[in-house]
Amino acid sequence: MGSRVLRVLPCLFAIALLGCETKKEGMTGASHRPVVTIAIEGDIDSFNPLFAEDITAGEINDLLFPALVSSSFDITSGELTYGPLLARSWEYADEGRDVVFHLLPNARWTDGSPVTARDVQLTYELYGDPAVASVRQAAVDNLRRTRGELDVRKSVEVRDDSTVVFHFAAASPGQLFDAGLPILPAHVLEKLPRKDLRTDPVSTSPVSFGPFSLARWIPLQEVVLESNAQSVVPYPAKLSQLILRIIPEYRTRLSQLESGEVDVVGGIRPEDARELTRNAAAVEIISTPGRDYDFLGWNNIDPEAAATTTSATVKPHKLFGSSGVRRALTMAINREELVEAYLGDHGRVAFGGISPLFTWAYHQSMKPLPFDPQRSSSLLEEEGWRDSDGDGVLDKNGLRFSFVLKVPAGNQMRTVVAAAVQQQLRHVKIEMRIEQVERATFWQEVTMRKYDAWLAGFSVPLQMQLDDLWGSDLQKYPFNLMGFQNARVDSILAAVRSLKAESDGALLWREFQEIVQEEQPCTFLFWINNIVAVNKRVRGTRIGVLGTLHHAWEWHVDTTAQVVTAVSH
Amino acid sequence: MSLVRFVTRRVLHSVPMLFGLGTLVFFLSRLLPGDPVSLYLSPGVPPGVAEHLRSQFGLDDPLWEQYLAWLSSTFRGEWGYSFAHGAPVDEVLLQFLPNTLLLGGAALVLECVLAFLLAALAVRFTGSWFDRALSSLTLIVYSLPSFWVGIMLLSLFSFSFTIFPSSQMHSVGGEQMSGLAAVVDVLKHLALPALTVAIPGTAVMARYLRTSITETMKQDYVVAAVGMGLSTGRVFRSYILPNSVGPVISVLGIEIGVLLTGVLVTETLFAWPGMGRLAVMAIFTRDYPLIIGCTLCGGFLIVAANLLADAVRAWIDPRIRLP
Repeated sequence: MGSRVLRVLPCLFAIALLGCETKKEGMTGASHRPVVTIAIEGDIDSFNPLFAEDITAGEINDLLFPALVSSSFDITSGELTYGPLLARSWEYADEGRDVVFHLLPNARWTDGSPVTARDVQLTYELYGDPAVASVRQAAVDNLRRTRGELDVRKSVEVRDDSTVVFHFAAASPGQLFDAGLPILPAHVLEKLPRKDLRTDPVSTSPVSFGPFSLARWIPLQEVVLESNAQSVVPYPAKLSQLILRIIPEYRTRLSQLESGEVDVVGGIRPEDARELTRNAAAVEIISTPGRDYDFLGWNNIDPEAAATTTSATVKPHKLFGSSGVRRALTMAINREELVEAYLGDHGRVAFGGISPLFTWAYHQSMKPLPFDPQRSSSLLEEEGWRDSDGDGVLDKNGLRFSFVLKVPAGNQMRTVVAAAVQQQLRHVKIEMRIEQVERATFWQEVTMRKYDAWLAGFSVPLQMQLDDLWGSDLQKYPFNLMGFQNARVDSILAAVRSLKAESDGALLWREFQEIVQEEQPCTFLFWINNIVAVNKRVRGTRIGVLGTLHHAWEWHVDTTAQVVTAVSH
Repeated sequence: MSLVRFVTRRVLHSVPMLFGLGTLVFFLSRLLPGDPVSLYLSPGVPPGVAEHLRSQFGLDDPLWEQYLAWLSSTFRGEWGYSFAHGAPVDEVLLQFLPNTLLLGGAALVLECVLAFLLAALAVRFTGSWFDRALSSLTLIVYSLPSFWVGIMLLSLFSFSFTIFPSSQMHSVGGEQMSGLAAVVDVLKHLALPALTVAIPGTAVMARYLRTSITETMKQDYVVAAVGMGLSTGRVFRSYILPNSVGPVISVLGIEIGVLLTGVLVTETLFAWPGMGRLAVMAIFTRDYPLIIGCTLCGGFLIVAANLLADAVRAWIDPRIRLP
């Protein structure tokens, strides 16, 4: 019997050899066919722009359903600029309140139907219809109303098949941004009950007209886009296929990048970016200053009182209700050191709530509050916080300065940063405990302002409208997580909305940053660069502020570039 | 009692059990903090959208009404709509279940084959260093967490020696392969996840099998068969093996439950598109109908596996059919 067992072992060995002899996946012909593979963390939530909330899904949908205009971000001016896409041109009318778009005459959907102005009109009807419950419902907010009522059919007027007019309530800098959403096929969607659109199978087999079309989607495995040979918006993609493979494990994504199985990986950690720069000759690191920041949130308002009142102004938080205390907390934390230790060149200390990307609005002459534990202690003393019982923790009227910092689970860097902050606050006699909370629970509770303090990340929008983050109406703006209320900030937010050009609001935004610096509703920690690793064989990318897949129709493959080849053993 | 009656009785017993499981998971999932609708909210999304979605998902009804609605639809054979997938739960499950069955089945076969090989070697060399090592290592290997085993296998066979692929079920473009190439491609991707799931169970199975074979070898009928001059192979095939596998089959039934738990972690680690990964995502997104669907499906698989194990045992050993 033993000898039989031993006879099986060579067979097992042969199977192992079979694995060795075969080339690594993704390599076969990779250097011959213009195919690029991207590793992504999670699956796509929807191929219908009405419902896609996920960032990658949004980027894919932009490739399937181009907008009227193509946006770019000008790093020098810090502003969005627009060029033709489905609209070959546009002009303004009615003192800048109307925008008249002239569509490309020969654009066609993948089923052969022409793309017309009616598609644009229905698209905006759907975005705005409460029955559809689109996540982009706010896109119709600035359209003109008739006697207070919004009728999208009138506000987005079809003049003829290739002319559509957007009637806005006022001339504003956001008009092209609002008109820049993906356009959907009216002839497919108008037949369907609007309340059922979310679950309709049309979302998984979309009729599109962009440079790519959806070749196949295998849930939890991959999304394959292929060049749409009929597309004139703007033209068929240069790649024959763009494959997005879903690989949940970060380390696996990284290994597959190094081995050449995948070409592009986003969300690279700073320490790995340094490692890849040193050791992976075939990989290029693209680090773009981003719109993402990490911050320590201090609940400005009393969570219990806030839960039991509908009053517009609520009771200040017993620990964090005073701006003096919040400034002291910021000054007790060495943010420069945190950036140096965890981000290096891929981040910078944050303050004021406006990303340095928006150069026209960013307060260039303002400096972050310095790391000054002594000044921090004096500020706390001025606020009445002393260690009266000698237990090593400050107290005031019998209340100890002790709190729990909630951190969403699953982000290694935030866990380490929280521990560093804990250590630094201990030096000014503040006791902080750290509690990790599962992500879905965290976001539900933090938007209900249930926590005293938390560490999280946020992103500022491309369109400089920050009412959602800083508006004082706490019922209307659940993402004003700190419960920050300031009348002057409200008037600034209202004023910038009515300006004709975004950059006209520069002075107002500088004042906004000064107020935020003074009030310190939260402690901004750092702006984090978006780091993407790309195999050098992939050319023509415009990875940057507007995402990884931005203008992916321009991507092509350089077959002469160094490609990591399969390793056989 | 006939085998058919035996199986029928067990099936009928399992119905209330699955119903209880569904009810428990229904209420437990609702007790979880976190809101399914919060997934769709971000700055810029009007609060009205959240209310609309809550109503669309049936989450604005009182809990008991939601429960009755779930009961009624379940009895009609409808498992509800997955919030995240926007499709009927049964359709979503059917997309992923075959992949899990493939992984689980492969792991089970691997577990049995490896356990048999190890047990046979241990019996062949009873008292040797190998036999002693197998006994000592069993507990250690059994207690190894799946994710640790998976990471070790990945770093060894995928990253260091690049023998097997590290994730997914197919190579890029693998769906368009056909015939033997497609089978080999899937097998290559299956190797590491199946091993990850199989390794802990193999150790304990080998130990059970070794003990069972050793005990059987001491039985009078085996001694008599050897005394009659039958060959070692024939004695093993005809007398020892059939009488040794009975107790192991029961363990195998239980082991399938453990195996499914391992699949949960392994599928995520290896990006294997199966029910385990689906369940984990359903929990993270608070997709209540899908959580219940995955649990019921898992529960059904465990019940079916135990039933099958008992039926096979009863078929091999007719004495256990007696009431």
